[in-house]
Amino acid sequence: MRRDTWIDIRRFVAVVAACGIALFAPVMAFAHAVLVESRPGVNSIVSGPEVVVVLKYSSRVDPRHSTLTLLDPDGKVQKVSIEGEPTPGLLSAKLAGLGKGAYVLRWQVLAMDGHITRGKVPFQVK
Amino acid sequence: MIWLLRDIDLLTVLLRGATLAFEALLLGGVAYLSAVARPARASAAVEDFSRRGIRMASLGLVASEVAALLASGALLMSGSDLTFKDVMTTSFFRADSFAILFAIAVWICARLRTNKATVAMLPLGLLLLAASVSTSHAAARIDHRFFLTILTAAHHLGTAAWIGAMPYLWISLGRVEGVDEARRLTERYSQMALLGAVTLASAGIGMAWFYVGTWSGLYTTAYGIMLVAKVFLFLAMIALGAGNWFLVRRLANNPEPLLVRLRRVVEAEICIGFLVVLTAASLTAQAPGVDVTAQERLTSREIYVRMHPERPRMSSPPVTALAPPSSLEEAVKDSQFVPTVGSDDTDRAWSEYNHHWAGLIVLIAGLLALLSRHRAMRWARFWPLSFAGLAVFILLRADPENWPLGPRPFWQSFAAPDVLQHRFGALLIVVFAAFECAVQAGKLKARWATYVFPAMCAVGAAMLLTHEHSAKDVKEALLAEMSHTPIALLGITAACSRWLELRLPRSRVATIAGYFWPLCLALVGMILLNYRELA
Repeated sequence: MRRDTWIDIRRFVAVVAACGIALFAPVMAFAHAVLVESRPGVNSIVSGPEVVVVLKYSSRVDPRHSTLTLLDPDGKVQKVSIEGEPTPGLLSAKLAGLGKGAYVLRWQVLAMDGHITRGKVPFQVK
Repeated sequence: MIWLLRDIDLLTVLLRGATLAFEALLLGGVAYLSAVARPARASAAVEDFSRRGIRMASLGLVASEVAALLASGALLMSGSDLTFKDVMTTSFFRADSFAILFAIAVWICARLRTNKATVAMLPLGLLLLAASVSTSHAAARIDHRFFLTILTAAHHLGTAAWIGAMPYLWISLGRVEGVDEARRLTERYSQMALLGAVTLASAGIGMAWFYVGTWSGLYTTAYGIMLVAKVFLFLAMIALGAGNWFLVRRLANNPEPLLVRLRRVVEAEICIGFLVVLTAASLTAQAPGVDVTAQERLTSREIYVRMHPERPRMSSPPVTALAPPSSLEEAVKDSQFVPTVGSDDTDRAWSEYNHHWAGLIVLIAGLLALLSRHRAMRWARFWPLSFAGLAVFILLRADPENWPLGPRPFWQSFAAPDVLQHRFGALLIVVFAAFECAVQAGKLKARWATYVFPAMCAVGAAMLLTHEHSAKDVKEALLAEMSHTPIALLGITAACSRWLELRLPRSRVATIAGYFWPLCLALVGMILLNYRELA
């Protein structure tokens, strides 16, 4: 019943390769830290020029490695500094000097499980 | 570059899957060596192989962890002004670096072959497990973080003891010096696997309680649907494992033929086992069902409206009525933040027509394969020919915005991930049809050629389990997943039953398996015939 070593190694490689093929099939994009609630709300109308941003996620996020950017009505993109994570899963920031028009707040968060999620919050300033 | 960034997002999930598989193989190897091979006084050859297997799994884990680190780092930097130095301060970088160090340490221990080194592999394996679990869903939970981390660790351990150790048993059975040694190994493995399966299931139920929350979460969220798929595969493994359990009990009476049978069934079990790991990798890409808002969940009414049986659509809308395609670059760029592909009713009718014709072809193939089992119907064994037509159909109609029906050039359109998936699928089908036809006709007698069909079914099912459904809203993607997941599960069942039919010695089980896979094909056809995108 004893077999040649080479043949057995080949079989092991075959098993590993089969797993590899199965695992390297395309998988759905990330959706880990879900944006549960946001201020301003999606497609909401708010008063300027100062707007407080509060983003509530379904999981703990790393504020030091998360990014907020604001796309203004002229198409310019500016970085928004995150003030911190007052409670787990909550990110806060302040936007200043916003004129009338449509804005898009883009967010990229790093969840504490190492997963990166992106999304956007479009809103209008009246 | 846009294409690359878009796909790094996918790549990081795939690499997570690879690390899970190699982690299971590494920990499973350590468990097999410590709790099965050594206590069962296995021959030097078996012990030697176990160590070699652990080393290979360690190297695989190191490679996949390094790739995962680089991909996650690139993804993080691509959407921000963070540098690689910043990436090095993240929690995932720390955890993955520790996992790499522990995997290297296990590799060294497996190479040393001393008693102390073998014992040292156990704590090193546990540290590796801790590093891995610290990048699981549990680590980021706001509530019940500690308890969920313990459950996740138990789930990983159970997987390693049962699924990860299985390839080691399979290869050991081919290397043993006698039937007695084989019996000792299988008995000890069976005990460990039973404990592993119970641990895996108990921890899994606990995690489902917290991550899914309600019974309806099992069919109204993507996480729940994938979890149901995982449970189906788990039950299939339990059924095969139960069969093996009884075989092991009978080994003393009729060892030689039963040992061959045992190895063949274990092969199918390994295939399903690693598909379970793949499904787990897909689950890590999903937000837990409990986090999904009510607006993004399906309702029973929506499921009924979409799923209830209706007459298939056998006439297609004209290609000129379809929504005009945007530029390729624009489409991929937009999908970086919100992956949306706009489609109207005509586009959906077009897609339904495609699915229904594909369903008809698969149903005919399944019925012909079933008929071909009767001596008077031998002509029906050329059923794979129908699949060649299916490949041409996919190539022409799956992506009408590209050549030959649309304006986008053929080669350039490979940049779109969806198009790439469809064309790869069409190529797989052509390869399969050619091989299986030659096999059925008796022109190709090589053993490996007969395995192309089950291999294609397994790979196709794996792809379908992880297929990205780009839809305008989450519910559409969910409904598509709801109809695709049963097809994937039937594909896996077909792959395993065909494999068993080919590999098992002539027996009742082999005959039943021979009727099983054509039935699965026919069922896949019927599901496709009822696929709908219009309410």
